[in-house]
Amino acid sequence: MMLPSLLILAAISLAPFFYMIWMSFHNMSLLGGAGITSSWNGGANWSRMFTDPAVGQGWLAMLIYFVATVGLELVLGVGVALLVFELVWGRNLALSFILMPMFIAPVIVGLLGRYLVNSSYGLYAWALRQTGVYGGAIFSHPVPAFVSVVLMDVWEWTPLIALITLAGLVSISPQLLEAATVDGARYRQRLRHVILPSLTGVLVIALLVRSMDALRYFSTIWLSTDGGPGNATKIIPLRLYEVAFRFFHLGYAATIGLVMLAVSILLANAFLRVLRAPKAQS
Amino acid sequence: MEKSSALSRRGFLGLAAGGMAGAVAGLGGCGSSTGTSGRSTAGRNKWRQLAGAKITFISENTSPTSAIAVNLSPFQDLTGIDVSIEQLELSSMAQRVALDFGSHGGEYHVIYADPNQVLAPLNHGFVELHKFIDDPSLPSVPRGIGDFVPVQLHAAGYFQKRLLALPYDCPTIIWCYRKDLFDKYRTRMRRDLGYDPTPSVTKTWEQYFQIARWFDDHQNDVPYGDGHMAKQYDSLMCDFSTVLWAYGGDYFHHGQHIGAWGAVDPGPCTLGRPEAIRAAAFYQRLVAKANPGSTSWDWNDLAEAFGNGQCAMCPEFHEDAAGWETGPLKGKVGFSPLPRGPVRSANIYGGTGLGVSRYASEEQQRAAWLFILWATSPQAQVLDLESSVGGGTPTRTSVYRQPNVVRNMHPPSKMPNLLAYHAVSEAWKPQNVGLRPKIPSWNQVDTVIYTELSQMLTSGKSPEAAMTDAAREIDQATKGQASAI
Repeated sequence: MMLPSLLILAAISLAPFFYMIWMSFHNMSLLGGAGITSSWNGGANWSRMFTDPAVGQGWLAMLIYFVATVGLELVLGVGVALLVFELVWGRNLALSFILMPMFIAPVIVGLLGRYLVNSSYGLYAWALRQTGVYGGAIFSHPVPAFVSVVLMDVWEWTPLIALITLAGLVSISPQLLEAATVDGARYRQRLRHVILPSLTGVLVIALLVRSMDALRYFSTIWLSTDGGPGNATKIIPLRLYEVAFRFFHLGYAATIGLVMLAVSILLANAFLRVLRAPKAQS
Repeated sequence: MEKSSALSRRGFLGLAAGGMAGAVAGLGGCGSSTGTSGRSTAGRNKWRQLAGAKITFISENTSPTSAIAVNLSPFQDLTGIDVSIEQLELSSMAQRVALDFGSHGGEYHVIYADPNQVLAPLNHGFVELHKFIDDPSLPSVPRGIGDFVPVQLHAAGYFQKRLLALPYDCPTIIWCYRKDLFDKYRTRMRRDLGYDPTPSVTKTWEQYFQIARWFDDHQNDVPYGDGHMAKQYDSLMCDFSTVLWAYGGDYFHHGQHIGAWGAVDPGPCTLGRPEAIRAAAFYQRLVAKANPGSTSWDWNDLAEAFGNGQCAMCPEFHEDAAGWETGPLKGKVGFSPLPRGPVRSANIYGGTGLGVSRYASEEQQRAAWLFILWATSPQAQVLDLESSVGGGTPTRTSVYRQPNVVRNMHPPSKMPNLLAYHAVSEAWKPQNVGLRPKIPSWNQVDTVIYTELSQMLTSGKSPEAAMTDAAREIDQATKGQASAI
């Protein structure tokens, strides 16, 4: 009975995928304006991609960006969730404020960031200058620019980690925590031996969700730094966008996109393996 | 060119809405073969022949298009044609057009044809305009195509001898400076520098640098002497190009000819030559001492920074003049062509034309042509000037000769963009204008240029390495390969 729906869904999902694979073996371009030009080039796009220093640089920037954002979001998100969990009064109100950044479109976050750190009128730039923390133009230098885009992402998506973690915290058996308290365990010991192990599955899911997003991240960086300065913030999704929609090299872009898909699948599988491991042991 | 004004357009839109009706009567008689205004029935019929047609105009989000978009009724009254307008950021607009042309969809009929990012890469998607110009059943071009400023008609309109667009806007980078500060410190500067510092086309880039440093060291009215649009973006390429050409360098052999007429294969890149490397070395030195925000500013950011008193002078698009005249710098800004290098002064032209999509139906193409005639007409361009915050300046020579326009070329002016006219008219002369290569692979070439320059400015890459790497990457790009940048 479900077969027709499944067939349609498969067609919608799989047809573009197979077409992308086909594209990756062709020189396809929109240049000229007379239509899409296409010619078989064997594996030239693939060999090009694995030797392209710009793609390599994009993946390196992506790796650093991924580790920094997801790592910070995990630590901060768990910290915020633990704090909110301890609230006796006003937990819902606190949660409402904490979750607000998550509901802002990434495009707006990018624009906000761009204006707030603008060296001539940005509020954050002014505050950093006045406090002596940083007096330079933030987006003018590679490291401060990179830190800024990481922080924008962390600001926006830490609430998601906090929310998922909080859901895990409320599902921990209160009796377990009480028993640990009765046995004399201090908070740090309860956290390390009871709470965090109970949250493992939830945290893996949070990391999985966030990782899939982080690998495709585009809007905030595109609107704030355009991948600069000096390509410092040009992570691989920006490179893909450029190749496809600025240079109009669709075949090469398909190749880069397929590799991004493969990396996403490998990463997702790694997380799922971690998620399944405790069950296997038990 | 990404030139959306950061200022309120309320006054402009109101004036445009009220005044556009005047354009209706004038254009109604422009259907005669002589192209002169009149009220002939035959002329009006030519404008009404496509009544009921529906067309879509896709444009960058610029002030001239915003003014047209707020009130299309004058055009609709004149022609009976229904126009919907989509305004987007330039690169998004270019994508949409590329995809529409690639699919032969014909969704867009009037195209904002940026000569480098749209017209050249997608040139086969445009209709050759002589198809309409030579058609006696259609209104003729008001005052003829010879009325357009010649360099603009070539740069914005042609690709390889085919006329594909009519000039619509003409932002040009010139030297913008705080006249009040130069007046205040002129005597001291003359004594310290040994020459009159007043900006002019006879000044050199080295003198520009000295003047900027003088401001850095001898006054507190502004924090820095100069600022630049040196963000890793098209703006950086524009800013650097003015220096490159001034030093005798270029992107290709016969680069200015390629900029005027376009080429499919521009030949080998010439950025590795000594004059280009010298230009890059000077540019690195120039930006290193400028306002530190320069490497994060595009042209809009720079205009805002200059308007906020962050620097005493800057190379900037002249159409920002109107915006500065409504803020705290009213009456305080002067304009000059850019300084010269060892070879010449080079003022980059960033204008755009309007073209017709060949994937539109025959009826839609003709309707699109009528829209282009109207939008680029002298009447429409004067109305654009008359706004209190007008963002565009005319592309037609006849408009600059009208008494009302001439009167407003000096302060106090009701047409603030004209305050830069004397500087830009000098800048548009063939010996002073700078034209970017009009080639199909320009988007990729542009990315190579500004990426290498950004690395030179922010990551310590040497000018020689930046230029030679850029030349190598550009040669790959022009051969149709995705470059490694």
